[in-house]
Amino acid sequence: MPLTNLKCNKCLPERGEHIYIHDPENPVIPACNIATLPGDMTERGCAFAGSRGVIGGPIADSIDMVHAPVGCAWYTWGTRRNLSDLFPWVAPDRLANSAFNRRFCVVTDMKEENVVFGGTKKLKRSCLEAIRLFPEAGGLVIFTTCTTGLIGDDVKAVAKQVEAETGVPCFTSEAPGCSGVSQSKGHHEFNTSFYRQIQALRERRPELKMKDEEKTPYDVCLIGEYNMDWDLKMIRPLFERLGLRIIAVFTGNERIENLIKMPDAVLNIVHCQRSAEYIAEMFKDGYQTPFIRVSLFGVEQTAQALRDVAAHFGLEEKAEEIIADETARIQESLEFYRSKLTGKKVAIYVGGPRVWHWIGPMEELGMEVVMGACTFAHEDDYEKINARHKGGILMIDAPNEFEIEESIMETKPDIFLTGLKEKYLIRKMGVPTVNSHSYEKGPYAGFSGLINFARDIYQGIYAPVWKFQNGIVKPVMDNLPEGEEVSCQ
Amino acid sequence: MTCPLPERIPIEGFTYRDMKIDKVPATPEFKPRDPSLVPAKNRSVVINPGATCMPLGAMWAIMGLHRAIPFVQGAQGCTTYVRYTFARIFKEPGSIATASFHEDAAVFGGRKNVIHGVRNLVVRYWPDVVGIVTTCSSEIIGDDMNSFLKATKKKLAEEIGEERAAAVEIVLVNTPSFAGSQVEGYNRAARSFVGSLAEKTGDASDKVNIIPGMTYPGDIREIKHILKEMGIEATVLFDISETLDAPLHPPKSLPYYPEGGTTVEEIRGMGDAAATFTIQKEAGSAGAVLLEKKFGVKAFNGPMPVGVANTDMFVTALAGITGREIPKTLIDERGRFVDAMADTLHYTMMCRAAIFGDPDIALAMTRFACELGMTPVAVMTGSPSVTFEEDVEAILEEYRHLFTVEPKIFNKGDIFEFEEYLRGCNRLDLVIGHSKGADIAAECGVPLIRVGFPVYDRFGYQKKAIVGYRGGELLLYEIVNALMSHQYPIDRVQQ
Repeated sequence: MPLTNLKCNKCLPERGEHIYIHDPENPVIPACNIATLPGDMTERGCAFAGSRGVIGGPIADSIDMVHAPVGCAWYTWGTRRNLSDLFPWVAPDRLANSAFNRRFCVVTDMKEENVVFGGTKKLKRSCLEAIRLFPEAGGLVIFTTCTTGLIGDDVKAVAKQVEAETGVPCFTSEAPGCSGVSQSKGHHEFNTSFYRQIQALRERRPELKMKDEEKTPYDVCLIGEYNMDWDLKMIRPLFERLGLRIIAVFTGNERIENLIKMPDAVLNIVHCQRSAEYIAEMFKDGYQTPFIRVSLFGVEQTAQALRDVAAHFGLEEKAEEIIADETARIQESLEFYRSKLTGKKVAIYVGGPRVWHWIGPMEELGMEVVMGACTFAHEDDYEKINARHKGGILMIDAPNEFEIEESIMETKPDIFLTGLKEKYLIRKMGVPTVNSHSYEKGPYAGFSGLINFARDIYQGIYAPVWKFQNGIVKPVMDNLPEGEEVSCQ
Repeated sequence: MTCPLPERIPIEGFTYRDMKIDKVPATPEFKPRDPSLVPAKNRSVVINPGATCMPLGAMWAIMGLHRAIPFVQGAQGCTTYVRYTFARIFKEPGSIATASFHEDAAVFGGRKNVIHGVRNLVVRYWPDVVGIVTTCSSEIIGDDMNSFLKATKKKLAEEIGEERAAAVEIVLVNTPSFAGSQVEGYNRAARSFVGSLAEKTGDASDKVNIIPGMTYPGDIREIKHILKEMGIEATVLFDISETLDAPLHPPKSLPYYPEGGTTVEEIRGMGDAAATFTIQKEAGSAGAVLLEKKFGVKAFNGPMPVGVANTDMFVTALAGITGREIPKTLIDERGRFVDAMADTLHYTMMCRAAIFGDPDIALAMTRFACELGMTPVAVMTGSPSVTFEEDVEAILEEYRHLFTVEPKIFNKGDIFEFEEYLRGCNRLDLVIGHSKGADIAAECGVPLIRVGFPVYDRFGYQKKAIVGYRGGELLLYEIVNALMSHQYPIDRVQQ
């Protein structure tokens, strides 16, 4: 019985198409990447969130110009923990408290009259002012939202004019919240428009390409890696020690000038294969740059990633050396966590890819993945989940709150890996959680990151708080059998 | 990039410090921001906005009703971002439903979304109240919400029967984001709910209504404490004190509903009350004014009872309208508060404070800072208010003789302008405001006293009261202790 449904969906039979128990003999792909039922208390975000929050946000030196009423910008200001090391000055002897990409929130603040009469003039003025105010910016990205999408402002024309007047590369990403079915639409839109725009930019301004004499045969891009909680500090050194040069990361802690050079790489390494494989595919078609898919979580998967990438360059021996060193570095602590976590049951609910990225690492820690759910996964994500799981996992596509509650009752996980919005609901049900979008205390990627990940899971499960959750337990003395007396001896 | 991690990773893992992350300067050297573009009035672009959008305020209000669920007529982000914000602030679940607008809704309108959406919500959650919150998109495409809701009610009655459908109150709040901030959204929710539900039965009651505004559970509890001490019965509209501060114990049933919240019956009874007290004038007075106009319920709109004078005014007005005495217990609480002010005055007098937040909290904190002998060097509201300048000026006038520098008032600006002004101040002792001030406080090397909306980067602030005499006393200690930690070496604080 691969497809199944939950009791809470008695009146929403359509939801049955989205829920299954994986059977390796008879694998199914649920209904996915389709519109959310209105009123079903979804956890999904909007296309704008995918574009501005997930992909645009991590760029270190761009002005993220949100062309919208104030809220859409405010909600994406310093939220996802996409960290950067690029800091503006605030005084002659002091750098800002937060990095440039999180320190400022830039918005056109559309008002009623702009909605009625159009907002392009305001947008153009805003872009020019922001470029004057932030000379440290390497570029500017205009993001549209429901409001500016619906009134049909021609933001591409504005970007063109602003770039012509200032020389600062200007990009657009038009993913209004109501476009597409989830944040996935925003990822896609950013990928395709960014690709087309850097391609055109390189034709228009060839000096922005990497010069031939600067190129090396070991130039690669890391695509779909957003530097959550400094994951890049775990990932970059592995490839650099291998002898590769990462010329650009799409988009974690990256500078615009490097992003423009992405087509100059000889290989693209794709981590998040949902939000960024699109652009890797386009580089393959447009520039014949091959790409390799990797998982950079857990020991086995990270080792495999290094081996696959090394094989492309004939650096296999070096890869084995790195793997041996890095494994030794964590061996003792990993053993400790294996001893504590073996047999525990884990549920994973994230956007999509991390469900399949994390099945392996959880099994490495000795745990069993009993439930999984994805906010915006497509068919290929479910194929990857099915390929990696031995069977028996309850999978839910685009779950709603009620389904999460019921699935906890059904599968009784010891720990739930999920995001900020969901975690408080799950904790109210007495189940510990680990923030799996921005992490508790990351980084979690790579070899060493696994120890932080395991530690946060261990802390969740073993915290003494959970024994207090069932109310006041009767004092021992009250529990004595009748007739027996307590004496002081 | 080399890996600076230790030879062996200990079981405790590692931190940012172990990774040695160096800050890279974005430009070779410091250059001041273009001074002609620093004042917000000189530019179109808004940088570091001091407020967010209207629907959030309406959702905040609805979260304070018993078994109520906001239903957001817009794209999924309009729901998700607000839930995310509530989770950050309250560390609590926040159930909000979305109409799930996609391209088809943008083209054909959101009729289908609301009819099916409310149906899907009701048959699974059986709420007492569904609060329909509109957004930019539904307002721009011009959804005729009143006719849609008629159709929704009809659809519900067909499917679940007249009686059960009638048990679900559906109330509409129009909140296009481009027309105001979260404060206005809350205000509109107060007007909508009171306008749709409150009645006058003719039985005069000596109960009072409290509209708490966007204050936290701790503040609402403190107001209830004052009312209890005075023996006054009250209806607290949008009472989030339990719904957004729920205890952890195993759920009794699914789906999750927190206990508490204002019931529909209580809102109906608001028309019979003796008076309505709006704790934050800008967030709620529309409801109080409507009650006054429609039913003759006297409206008291602010100020927020923070500090001595404002709390005195609140307590005196309560006593006046209900004929109750101010009990000795409250007089003693006041006395302890004043005693604490006397004990700490050498730490607070002549301190320079920068204050920002929504208009009511900024005003209340300005008065409190003045009561402590501080100079409010800069006072800023993130949500523009028509009366803000004159309201601040009235407070400043009373205390100007104590100021060491002339205060500057910011209305209709953004936090960027305020931050740039603070950087230019040659002395600053503390910043009082919400979490968006954490960067500027750190950059100026002064403590941030966290108050107002939103506080998300520390625990417990949503549970602490700043209102009332007891709340004021604890807030005073927080201010003084922060100053002591930042400015005084240990050998100067030992007696």
